[in-house]
Amino acid sequence: MGLVAGKKLFSIMALCAMIGLLLLPIAVSLPSLAMGADAPDAVKKDGEAKVEKGRDVYYKTEGIVVGAPAPKTVDGPRDYPRYNFESRVLLWFANQQHLYYGSFVLAVPIFCMVIEFMGVVTKDKTMAKRYDQLAHDFIKISLTAYSLTAVLGGILIFTFLTLYPAFFGYLSSIFRPVMHVYALMFVAESGTLYIYYYGWDKMTEGFLKWIHLSMSVVLNVIGTLLMFLANSWIGFMMSPAGVDEQGRYLGNIWHVIHTALWNPLNVHRILGNMAFGGGVVAAYAAYKFLASKTDEDRAHYDWMGYIAMALGVAFLIPLPFAGYWLMREVYAYRQQMGITLMGGLLAWLFIIQATMIGILFLSTNYYLWQALGRMRGAEKYQRYIKYLVFVLCCGYLVFITPHTIVMSPAELKAMGGQQHPVLGNYGVMSAKNGGINVIITTTILSFVWYMRGNKVSTVSWSKFGNIFMGVFFGCAYFNIIGLAVLGYYIPANVRVGLSVPQVATTLSCLFFMFALNSFMMKGAKQMGAIEWGKISARSQYALIMLATAFTWMMGLMGYIRSSVRLFWHVNEIMRDNSPWAYTHTVGFAANMISFNVLFFWVSILFVFWLGSLGIKKAPVEAKEGVLGGTPQPAGGH
Amino acid sequence: MGDLIKEALSIGWPLLALLAGLLVYSQISISDAAAKKRATFKLSIGMLAAFILLIAIAHYETSFYGANRLLPVSLVLVTSMCFMLGIYFPNQAALLKIGGFMFLVAAGLSGYGNWLPQVEGGFPPKEEKIQFESMSAQQLADEGEKIIFGGIGQNKVQGAIGKGQCPLCHAFHKGMLGERAPNLDGLPERAAKERLVDPKYSQGKPLAREYAQKESFPGAGTAENGQEYIAESHSCPSCYVVAGYGVKGTNDKESPMPAIHKPPISLSLPELAAVDTWFYIREGRDAPTYEEIIKTYEKFIPEADRPKQLDDKAAGPPSALLADGTEPVDQIFSKAQCVACHTIPGIPGAVGTIGPKLEEGTNAPLRFKSPDYKGGATTTPDYIMESIVSPSAYVVKSFPDNTMPKVFGQKLSAGALKKIVDYLSQVKVGAPPPKIS
Repeated sequence: MGLVAGKKLFSIMALCAMIGLLLLPIAVSLPSLAMGADAPDAVKKDGEAKVEKGRDVYYKTEGIVVGAPAPKTVDGPRDYPRYNFESRVLLWFANQQHLYYGSFVLAVPIFCMVIEFMGVVTKDKTMAKRYDQLAHDFIKISLTAYSLTAVLGGILIFTFLTLYPAFFGYLSSIFRPVMHVYALMFVAESGTLYIYYYGWDKMTEGFLKWIHLSMSVVLNVIGTLLMFLANSWIGFMMSPAGVDEQGRYLGNIWHVIHTALWNPLNVHRILGNMAFGGGVVAAYAAYKFLASKTDEDRAHYDWMGYIAMALGVAFLIPLPFAGYWLMREVYAYRQQMGITLMGGLLAWLFIIQATMIGILFLSTNYYLWQALGRMRGAEKYQRYIKYLVFVLCCGYLVFITPHTIVMSPAELKAMGGQQHPVLGNYGVMSAKNGGINVIITTTILSFVWYMRGNKVSTVSWSKFGNIFMGVFFGCAYFNIIGLAVLGYYIPANVRVGLSVPQVATTLSCLFFMFALNSFMMKGAKQMGAIEWGKISARSQYALIMLATAFTWMMGLMGYIRSSVRLFWHVNEIMRDNSPWAYTHTVGFAANMISFNVLFFWVSILFVFWLGSLGIKKAPVEAKEGVLGGTPQPAGGH
Repeated sequence: MGDLIKEALSIGWPLLALLAGLLVYSQISISDAAAKKRATFKLSIGMLAAFILLIAIAHYETSFYGANRLLPVSLVLVTSMCFMLGIYFPNQAALLKIGGFMFLVAAGLSGYGNWLPQVEGGFPPKEEKIQFESMSAQQLADEGEKIIFGGIGQNKVQGAIGKGQCPLCHAFHKGMLGERAPNLDGLPERAAKERLVDPKYSQGKPLAREYAQKESFPGAGTAENGQEYIAESHSCPSCYVVAGYGVKGTNDKESPMPAIHKPPISLSLPELAAVDTWFYIREGRDAPTYEEIIKTYEKFIPEADRPKQLDDKAAGPPSALLADGTEPVDQIFSKAQCVACHTIPGIPGAVGTIGPKLEEGTNAPLRFKSPDYKGGATTTPDYIMESIVSPSAYVVKSFPDNTMPKVFGQKLSAGALKKIVDYLSQVKVGAPPPKIS
């Protein structure tokens, strides 16, 4: 009894410590934020007449100038010191590696929170233990990656300081208080993570477990805020605010943080991190599955791979919509920036992106179809898969068809016009939206089939439910494709609006069909057990494909986002006068992204290997229950 | 290939030497025949794999920046190496196969990126801050000529156009045709002696004017001297319109000229000072000082409307395109100043009447089928393209020849021309205008 009370006290203290850590940066930053407001007073003391006002380039409000203008750099050792190598490429590498690891360590705690929560609420004790162990394994992997993230962050800052001192100096002069809060947040994140991880075994039951779960929430709140702050820097570089035309800080730190693109960037990155984290963990599981020597291990890692994939895809599905919002905001901020992205210099990169999105969804579907093979009773769906393949391929081909692409006069002449002689006017946005919505809807259908693979609904209205679902999906396809075709018959400005009903249709399928299916499968009759581990090796390569493709796409989108500034360090405020102020070819970018992706994967495989050294010493009880019970993954099983 | 092997050996000879050393060592130290055979086999495979890896690295290294589109070949080499090693090192087979597969995926994506057309964003225009205020009058005039015509000594070259785009409408020498706007020859003298005394100008009584605009901005007043008149006519073209040069149908109450300090031309005050100085210097007159000219502009352009002098903004070179084709078609029409002379249904502000109304979906077929037509077009798009790049090929009746500049073939990108042609082809008499894209 005394032991339990002691543990309770310990856990409450730990939670309080975490909340304290969470609030620490805010408490510490208040004086520094206030300092920003004091600055004009200091100016006043020097002489009333010296107060100079400036106009915010974005908010158009007037503010008192408290910062220096953005430096006008010149190519030379003072502003651009360098090695005998392109500094931009070095920075690209350091930045991308830090981002990969950062995304991973921010995403995994969210996974842990979800999985631990599932373990707490599930009534099956064996499953609860397995979920708990899985969450623990995840955080253990993340812990090793966490230190690497910090190391890479240090390398990134040193790279900035040594290769781009003038630019980094300007950025840090604007974001001085934010950077300090960021550093404190990092301390809070580290402290919270360690308390969360090392307190795991001390808080395993009842109220203590809930406290532990609350800690994961605090951990994720800190992690998310940390990411938001980092996003404010890139948001400022793309769409500066809070400064005047000369780049002079006007004293309002919120304006500097809350730029035109900050909100969509935040949402896009959270979703992206989650999908990426899912991919990495799924690849880890695939690696362990392929390396397993026993059926028990194979069953465990098969299950782990499935859960990671399901979580990753759950965040992948809304990702295109978040991307759409981001692009809309880019167009609203600067139309020319949007055109450079979607119809200008960087347009071919978006064709690659479309290809990648298609690959991600095709891999997911392929995995699910393979996964049907480990269920007895799911054979009835196998014969329909070929039709799904056909639908997916059609959607994919439409999705990757370009409409208008910037081209040289020679190319224009060779092609005989702005449009391709064969493709003609195909590939307008409503058709492309139709393509991707068909792909997503088909993925939802695959998931629904998977969720009911070995089950037969026993509810009295099951026949009606099945018919309703069939009709619903049929109408959804009809609506999406119909609107895609309609787009060719209406003016461009009206056509743009078709994306809304198309997306709404897909989301309706996602929410209503999943919900309806769950109701129908409640208490359903099992036709056979899910034989975890009895899945083809090919399916695991689909997971690896998913992970690699996602990593590659992340690198690609990061490159696009960064290079859209063209020859500006800070868009329209601070010009890049280095010898590398031009945009690389698509081929070079692709090679560089591949290099970054492979470096990340080689290093993370090393991290996995390090993690496996620890797991070998883990108590045998971790594998308990594998033989006895069938693990039930999220999403209906 | 020989160079590649040489480079590979120079990079990785220690690794190959180590493996060779191990091979020798295994031959000496292992006595069991079967074990020796196994070790020999594995080390040979290891050497082969290491060699492939070194070739891949050498290939990647030598063509990192180059136009060689076979870089993914390096990655495929690594893939095959990984799978090869996976076969002979079964304990690490999973890791090697996964690694190999990832290299294969990366190779495919990298290859895809290299297969697509290679578009490279060129260097930005050189940052060149011109110190107008410290220039001599001649230097200032030279800069002015560059702004108007695109280069020094270009003022007599037919079709020479600079950032200011003035020659699109104005003529600058005696005898040259200026159908759309007055000939600016002798402007400094004429401004004071003719324009200011014109009763319609209403000097000192802006509210008595009968033009579309009374004054440049409330309280700006009217010009007091010739230079102020030039400044006012640049900043407020509709404050006074020379008889015969107004927008048709407005009874010369409105000028087709855009305010020169506003988009799309957006000349800064120092640039305008340079332009005006050229007007004086080329006629052998003493120009007002830089500061005096600036003051005249400050009188007619409120501070909030004064464009900043391009310092760290990308200043387009004099010969830069008027439109590169990434803009919507209405902006292309505006940037190329088509709107000043033509009425174009569906394009805001395109109410010009100096040239014919552009309803080419209907008119073009009638024209190229007409017996008077001597051009080479047989389709509507061809006819429109010909009219743009070679306006004298066919001149619409009741409109004079040589009014439209012949420079649009050079000043508009292929994409911009295509957009114009696409749009105009769809404009038909009596039909709603096409949508702007």
